[in-house]
Amino acid sequence: MRVLLVEDDADLSRQLKAALGDAGYAVDHAPDGEEAHFLGDTEPYDVIVLDLGLPKVDGVSVLERWRREGKTTPVLILTARGAWSDKVAGFDAGADDYLTKPFHTEELLARLRALLRRSAGIASATLSCGGLRLDPRAARANVNGEPLRLTSLEYRLLHYLMMHQGRVISRTELVEHLYDQDFDRDSNTIEVFVGRLRKKIGADRIETVRGLGYRLTALPGESEAA
Amino acid sequence: MNWQVWAGRAFGRPGRSLTRRLIWLASAWMAVALVLTGWMLTSQYQESALRRMGYALAETIDEVVLATTVVGGQVSVAEIQDSRTLRPLSGKYWVVAEFDGQGGMRILERSPSLAGEDLLIPRDMPARLERGRTLSYTAIGPVDRPLRIAASVKVLPGRERPLVFMAGMDRSDIDADTRAFATFTWIALLILGLGLVAAVFMQVQIGLRPLFLLRNEIADVRKGRSGRIERTYPLEIQPLAEQVNRLLDHNTEVVERQRTHVGNLAHALKTPLSVMLAEAEGRSDPLAEVVTRQSRVMKDQVDHHLRRARAAARAQGLGERTPVAEVLDEMAVMLERVFASKDVEIDWRAPDDLMFRGERQDLQEILGNLIENACKWAKRRVRVSAGGTGLGQMVVVVEDDGPGLAEDQWEAALKRGTRMDEDAPGSGLGLSIVDDLTRAYNGRVALSRSEMGGLKAVLDLPAAEG
Repeated sequence: MRVLLVEDDADLSRQLKAALGDAGYAVDHAPDGEEAHFLGDTEPYDVIVLDLGLPKVDGVSVLERWRREGKTTPVLILTARGAWSDKVAGFDAGADDYLTKPFHTEELLARLRALLRRSAGIASATLSCGGLRLDPRAARANVNGEPLRLTSLEYRLLHYLMMHQGRVISRTELVEHLYDQDFDRDSNTIEVFVGRLRKKIGADRIETVRGLGYRLTALPGESEAA
Repeated sequence: MNWQVWAGRAFGRPGRSLTRRLIWLASAWMAVALVLTGWMLTSQYQESALRRMGYALAETIDEVVLATTVVGGQVSVAEIQDSRTLRPLSGKYWVVAEFDGQGGMRILERSPSLAGEDLLIPRDMPARLERGRTLSYTAIGPVDRPLRIAASVKVLPGRERPLVFMAGMDRSDIDADTRAFATFTWIALLILGLGLVAAVFMQVQIGLRPLFLLRNEIADVRKGRSGRIERTYPLEIQPLAEQVNRLLDHNTEVVERQRTHVGNLAHALKTPLSVMLAEAEGRSDPLAEVVTRQSRVMKDQVDHHLRRARAAARAQGLGERTPVAEVLDEMAVMLERVFASKDVEIDWRAPDDLMFRGERQDLQEILGNLIENACKWAKRRVRVSAGGTGLGQMVVVVEDDGPGLAEDQWEAALKRGTRMDEDAPGSGLGLSIVDDLTRAYNGRVALSRSEMGGLKAVLDLPAAEG
């Protein structure tokens, strides 16, 4: 497993490199944003540990660039700014997990293992519908290249609709496939989630077929390749 | 606004209220102007009545002069047609007199109406008549009636020494008329004055209305109903509204700057702490143990005090409104991803129009910590529901299906420095931060047991109205 460690503090870098090496990773180290972006772009890493406060180019910008260029490598961000607004900014940029400094080295290793397990688990092809794209491997979706922020229920709803695009899907069918056994199977809540999903992907993409259910379609004029 | 308030503002102590000051000033000025007007009108009325009476007296004197003949120095007056000069004590009289040469007057002839009485002749009359040829005055006549008297000096052919012709008339009718006129005038002016005060009152109310509106808008900003002064005001007040807006902007800027400084300080301290912690972790000697323990304490202290500093820097709800649904959505998206290995599902419900009265970053901090804590302990499910309770408050409930906490731990969990989760990842400070921040917003957080099995946190927070 190859890991890219992006951290500007020399002591912390040395410690982390040693710890990651001991855990069996092949570690490359980048001390600033520019080098990090270059390495991440050219080398096939399995996971990236990214500090947000970096010289030259900050971590969030590097991450945004990678995601814009289509890199789906899982990224764990390290941040000294423990505020939730910073964490949210990191996730908006495309992070998969965060750790607030200071942290235990074991915790970092545990988080990395979880990230790698997740990205290796599912391996199916990218789904698309007009400008919508969904990558089940990274559990990410975007619309016209803009990353979507989806909760797991919204993601599952979109996933199911995309797998059956063009077909009318009843509420009962959605309830059966989206909720597990313990959930209150209230078909009204489906409307809530469809409403939220519409807000995020564009209202016209999900059509309500009166009395029957919902249908996901590409917008008129959108080609499959878009 | 009801009229008692208006009246109170208008007629209470003048020093404190602009309305009162304006109304008092206008009233005082109008009172002076109206009194002067009333005085001029009544005196003018009386004077013109007296002047008309003067003409009538002069005419009577002329008639008496025409009816007077001098034969051998002896003066005699023929009967005059006017019946009032004949009827005794009728109120119209005449007298013909001459100077007695010792500074007095001697009456030669008098009208039958005098019935033998005299017209009162002031002591200085002879002197005054010698200077001018005519004069008039007021005196008490027969039967104590007020008389207007005119006197005129004439020299008749056949007589060397001048004669003084006098005529008098009862003036009590004129006095009564003047009084009636004065009463009417004062009443009319009083009504006019009250009308004017009322008009001024209305004018001040309408004129100051923009000020009252501005006051209400500023109150709205303070209550979090709006973020800025948005109405357009008259030229005189608009600059004030703009200054208030600038002050609000400045406030936001200061809070923002404070926050940046605090963030920088946190960053500067935390990386060295990470290094110390990582360095010490690898060893098992006593020094390493002390370093590990103390770095953890330092980190907790830094977190706590920086957050307190932030809370102190916060301008209390100055117009900030944060949509709750948006924050819940971003937290759910993020934390589901963070806890993806556990497959935690966050089911959140909140009305789209529910607004937290406060800053976004604070709501993120409160909800982020609570939901993260719930995710940490949950088996599979976390439920968040938020709703307004009216009265400017809202309730957020965060529950999970984990093991929960024993009842005696609920209170301790909210205290600073208590770690319920020595083994679970994270700082363990989360809940005390939630408590600190909630208190800073005059809110409350309470822990209890959830129907789902785990911990249930109930938050009371201020909501933006309308």
